[in-house]
Amino acid sequence: MALEATVSDDGAGEPSARSRRKDPFRDQNTPLNPRLMRYIWGHTKAEQLWIGFVVLASMPTYFFALQLPVQIVNEPIQGVGFEDPAATLPFLQFQYDLPSWLGGGTLDIFEGWQLERWPYLIALSCLFLFLVCANGLFKFYINTYKGRLGERMLRRMRYQLTDRVLRFPINHFKRVKGSEIASMVKDEIEPFGEFIGDAFVLPLYLGGQALVAFIFIMTQSFWLGLIAVAVIGIQVTLIPYLRRRVIELGRQRQITARLLSGRIGEIVDGITAVHVNDTSNYERAEISSRLGKIFFIRYELYQRKFFIKFLNNFLAQLTPFLFYVVGGYFTIIGSLNVGQLIGVINAYKDLPAPVNGLVMWDQKRIDINVKYAQIVEQFNVTGIQDARLQAPHSDPVPPLKGDIQASNLQVLDESGTPLLEGADLKLPLNTIAAAVGPLGSGAGTLANVLAGLLQPSGGRLMHNGKHLTDLPQSVRGRRFAYAGSESYLPQSSLLDSLLYVNKHAPLHPLDEAKRKQLMLHPRSLVETKASGNTTLDYYADWVDYDAMSINGPQEVYPRIHEVLDVVEMNDTVYDLAMRNKLDPRTHADLCQELVRARLALRKQISGSKLEEYVEVWDFEKYNEHATVTENLLFGTAREGGGFDVDKLATNQTVREILSQEGLDATLFEMGLELAETAIDLFADLSPDNPFFEQLNFMTPEELEAYPPIIARAREKGFDNVSEADHDALVSLPLGYVESRNRLSLLSKDIEDRILKARHALHRRLAADGGDGIIRYQDDSYNPFNSVQDNILFGRIAHGYSSAADDISEAIRDLLREMELDDDIYRVGLEFDIGTGGKRLSESQRQRIALARALLKGADLLIVNRGLNAVDQRSQVRLMDRVLERARGEVNRGTRGPQPFGVFWVVSNPALASKFDRVLYFDRQKLVADDTHEKLMENNDRYHELVT
Amino acid sequence: MGKLQDEVDLLRAIPVLANMPANKLKLLAFASDRVSYDAGEVLFEQGDDADAAYIVIRGLADVIINTDNGTNKVAELGPNSFVGDMAILSDMPRTATVQAAEKLDTLRIRKDHMIDMMKDSPTLAMAVLRELVQRLAKTTADLSSTRDELTKLKAG
Repeated sequence: MALEATVSDDGAGEPSARSRRKDPFRDQNTPLNPRLMRYIWGHTKAEQLWIGFVVLASMPTYFFALQLPVQIVNEPIQGVGFEDPAATLPFLQFQYDLPSWLGGGTLDIFEGWQLERWPYLIALSCLFLFLVCANGLFKFYINTYKGRLGERMLRRMRYQLTDRVLRFPINHFKRVKGSEIASMVKDEIEPFGEFIGDAFVLPLYLGGQALVAFIFIMTQSFWLGLIAVAVIGIQVTLIPYLRRRVIELGRQRQITARLLSGRIGEIVDGITAVHVNDTSNYERAEISSRLGKIFFIRYELYQRKFFIKFLNNFLAQLTPFLFYVVGGYFTIIGSLNVGQLIGVINAYKDLPAPVNGLVMWDQKRIDINVKYAQIVEQFNVTGIQDARLQAPHSDPVPPLKGDIQASNLQVLDESGTPLLEGADLKLPLNTIAAAVGPLGSGAGTLANVLAGLLQPSGGRLMHNGKHLTDLPQSVRGRRFAYAGSESYLPQSSLLDSLLYVNKHAPLHPLDEAKRKQLMLHPRSLVETKASGNTTLDYYADWVDYDAMSINGPQEVYPRIHEVLDVVEMNDTVYDLAMRNKLDPRTHADLCQELVRARLALRKQISGSKLEEYVEVWDFEKYNEHATVTENLLFGTAREGGGFDVDKLATNQTVREILSQEGLDATLFEMGLELAETAIDLFADLSPDNPFFEQLNFMTPEELEAYPPIIARAREKGFDNVSEADHDALVSLPLGYVESRNRLSLLSKDIEDRILKARHALHRRLAADGGDGIIRYQDDSYNPFNSVQDNILFGRIAHGYSSAADDISEAIRDLLREMELDDDIYRVGLEFDIGTGGKRLSESQRQRIALARALLKGADLLIVNRGLNAVDQRSQVRLMDRVLERARGEVNRGTRGPQPFGVFWVVSNPALASKFDRVLYFDRQKLVADDTHEKLMENNDRYHELVT
Repeated sequence: MGKLQDEVDLLRAIPVLANMPANKLKLLAFASDRVSYDAGEVLFEQGDDADAAYIVIRGLADVIINTDNGTNKVAELGPNSFVGDMAILSDMPRTATVQAAEKLDTLRIRKDHMIDMMKDSPTLAMAVLRELVQRLAKTTADLSSTRDELTKLKAG
C-alpha cells in the first residue's frame, strides 16, 4: 500500500477545488505567499473567525464592567434613589427602551430584586467582582488560544521553510550559507508567532475595547469625548511617522545579524585556514567592525523607541490633566455628576492602552511584513524541486533495467563554463565501468549527473525513453547508490549513520509499549496535522530491511559486519568498542560478563609469555607501568568528585596523606628535577614539535611557566615556597612512569611510601564514606574505565614491542570464545561519530560512505573518487571486494549474490584495468570508451596516463 | 640519572650521532622507546611502511631479504648498530626484514623525531649524508666487482 499524501491542505482554496480530487502536493508546490496577512488568513481562517467571535462576545461584559462603577458611586454610595432610608432599588433589572418608531415605551425583561441601600451596595460590588472575573477569563482564553494559533503557524512556517530547503536545487547551496538559513528558520521568524496570533484578533479586540470605552465617554460627556478624540488623533498621526525610521532600522538589524551568523558559521567551518594563515586577528577585526555596525543600528533603535515611548506616556498623562480641569469644571457647574467624572477617568485609563496597542499592532504588521517578505524571497527559489518527486513511498521500488543513454550531454556551471561537453554514451545499468581522467576532466561531472547532484544543461540523459531527471527521488535514491570523496555524515551513532541510507519511509509502526515509553504528548498527532506538518512517524522503524537483503532487524548486525568487512572497518569498530566506557545501567549484563572475561584472561595468560606483558592491579604492590597518580589513587577518579587528575595536587585529603608520609617533599624534589630536565631538553623546541608528544607530564605551554617557578623554589626551598609553586611542582611527578620515562627518579623507598599513602587514602575514604574514587576491584566493573581497561585490569608493560598487540589479540580471542564479540561489536557501533563524522578520520568516513552505499542494494553504484583518502594498497583491496560483489561472485546478506552495475571514477588510473569498460575523459570531453586492453593499445595518451 | 644516561652513551657510540650536543642526544633518548624482542620476533618486515629506526643495545638481529628464490640472510647486527635508518629518511618501504636472533634489547627512534632532529642540526644531517655516501660508495664498489665477476663468468 502506498502512503497517503501527508501534507494537509487546510483549504486555502475555493470550495469547488475540494469536491474535485485534491492535489496533495499543491500546498508544497505553490510558492510561499509574499504577503503575510494573506498567508496567515489562508491557513487560519476558521480559527481567526472563532476567536473573533469570542472577542465580540467578551465586549458586553467589558462594557458593563465599565458602567457598573458609575452606578455604584452614584446610587448606593452617594445615595441617589435612597433619599428615603427605607427605599429600595431593583437589582439586575433588565429592560429595553423601545425605539420611538416602535411606539416608544419600555420592554421589561426581568424586573429585578428590590434591595435596600446596604445590600444593594454589596450586590452591585459582587456583580462588579463577577464581571472582573469574567473579563479576566475571557482574556485568559483569548490569549491562550492566540498563543496556540501563533505557535501552530510558527511550526507550519518552520516546517514549510525546511521542506523548501530539502527541495532547493543542489547548485543553489553554493550560494547560500547554512548558518544563514538556520538563522532565518530559527531566529528570524520567532517574532512572527506572537504576531500571527494577534494578526486579526488584536485589531478587533483592541479596536472594540477602544470603541466601547470611547462610546462610554461620549455617553457621559460629549466634550470630554472630544478631548479624548483630539489626543488620540495626535497619537495616531505622530507616532507612525516617528516609527517609520524604527522599522527601517529593524530591517537593517535583521540583515546585519543574519550576515553575522553567516560569518561566524564560516569562521567555524574554515577554522583550519585561519590557523594555518595566522588570520585570526583579521577575523577579529572583521567581526568587530560588523559588531560595530550592529551596535550603532541597535543604539539608534533604542533611542528612537524610547523617545516614542516617552511621547506616548506623555500624551496618556496629558489627557487626565485635561479631564480634571474640564471635567472638574463641568462637575462644579453641575452638568456632570461625580460618578460620571470618575467613570470617564476610569474609562479613559483603558482608552490609550488599546489605541496605543492598535498603533503598535499596525507598526508591527508593517515591520513583520517587511521581514516576512525578506525571508520568503530567500525561500522562493527558482528551480525548486516538485514535491511530487520527493513523495514518500513505502512500496518496494522495482529494480531498474535497461540502459542509461546520454546524447550530446552538456553540463555548465553557474558562470556558463562547461564541465562536460557533448558526451554520447550508452551505459547498461549492469556495466562495470571505470571513468578515468584528471580532476576537472568531466569524469566526476558525469558521476554527479548520474547521481542527480548536477542537472544537465543541454542534450539528453534518458533511461528507457524517460528523462533521468524526471525520476522521483524514491527511484533515484533507492536504485542508485553514491559515494563521493566528501560524504557528509550527520552526527549520530555509527550504526545509525550506516542505516541512514535505507530510511525512506516508516515501514513498521512502533509497538504500543515502546510508544508509551516515549511519553509523547497525547495531542501530538492532532497538533501535527493542525500545523500542516508531515504525519510520517519519526519513531517508526524506517529501515528497509528488504533493500539490505535481510529479513528483519535481527539480521542487521551480521549484515553490517559483512559490509564493514568489505571496507575493512571491523577492526576499527572493535577498537572503538574497547576504548568505550560502558554505562552499567544500559549494559548491565555485558558489564558483568566483562568482569568474568577479566578473570578468564588472567587465568588464560598465567604462566605464558603474556603474563609478563601485563602488570595487574594489586592493592599491596606498586604498579611499575602506571603513573604515580594511578598508583596513589588505586582507582579512577569520579568526574567532579574532587580527585580529578589534573587538580590532584590541590586536593586537601591527598595533601594531608602525602605529607604524612613525607611524600610532599619527595614529590617536590622530583618535580624540580623533572622540570629542569624538561626545560633542558625541550626549551628550544617549537610547541608543535613532535617530541612534545613524548613529554607526558607537561604541555608546551606549561613548559614556559616553569623556569621562574624553579628559580623561586630553589631560592626559598620546600618549607617556604608559595602554595601555587608547591602545587605546580608536586603535580609534575604525578604523571611520571619510571619504566617509560627512565629518569631513575623513583626509588624502591619512594614506591613503598606511595603504597603506604595509597593504603592511608583508602582507609580515609572508607571511614568518611567518600565516593570520589572508584577503587580497582577484582570483582566489579569500573564504569569510569574503558572496556579494555576493565578486561585487562592492569597496565600493559612498557618496553615489549609486541605487548599491546599480543594482549589485545588475546583479549579478542577470549571474547570470541566467551561469545561476547557480538556484544562488543554492537558497543562499537554505538560510537558517536561527532558532527559531520569528525570523530572519524577522513579515510574512515570514506569507508563508511562506501559501506552504506553497498548496504542499499542499488542497481547502479556510483563512486566518485570515493576512496582517495584511503591508502593505495587498501584502495586496491576494497575495490576488488566491491567488484566481486558487483559481479555477483559473493552472497549478499541472506539472499545469495546480487550483481549490480558500477560507475567508478577512479583517482588512480592504473586501477581502471580491473573494470570491464573504461570511459576516458579529458578536458571536459569523453574522448574514448572501450576496454582497458584496447585503450592501452590504441590510445597513447591513455597509455601514458595509466603507466 | 640512570638508564637514560646509559642510553645517551649508547647513542653517542653510533658514529652518525657521535658529534651531537649532549642535550640533543638526551632528548632523542628521552623520546625513544626501550623495546625488547624475544628470539624470532620481527622488528619489521620487508615492504612495510617505515616508521622507526632501531639501535641494538644488547643481542643479535638478522637482516633477511626475501627474493623470488626464497629468503636470504644478508647480515647480522650486534650491539651499537643502527637498523632501518635508510627507510625512515625517505618514504620508501622497508628493503629487508629484521628479526631478533636471540633476546634483543633495542632503542626505537620514531621517524618524525629523527627527521626533526636532522632539520634542527646540520651536524647530524651532514653526518647522515656522509654515512649514506660511504654506503653508496661501498655498494658501487661491490656492484662493479660483481659485474666484473659476471662478465668473467659469461666469458668463461
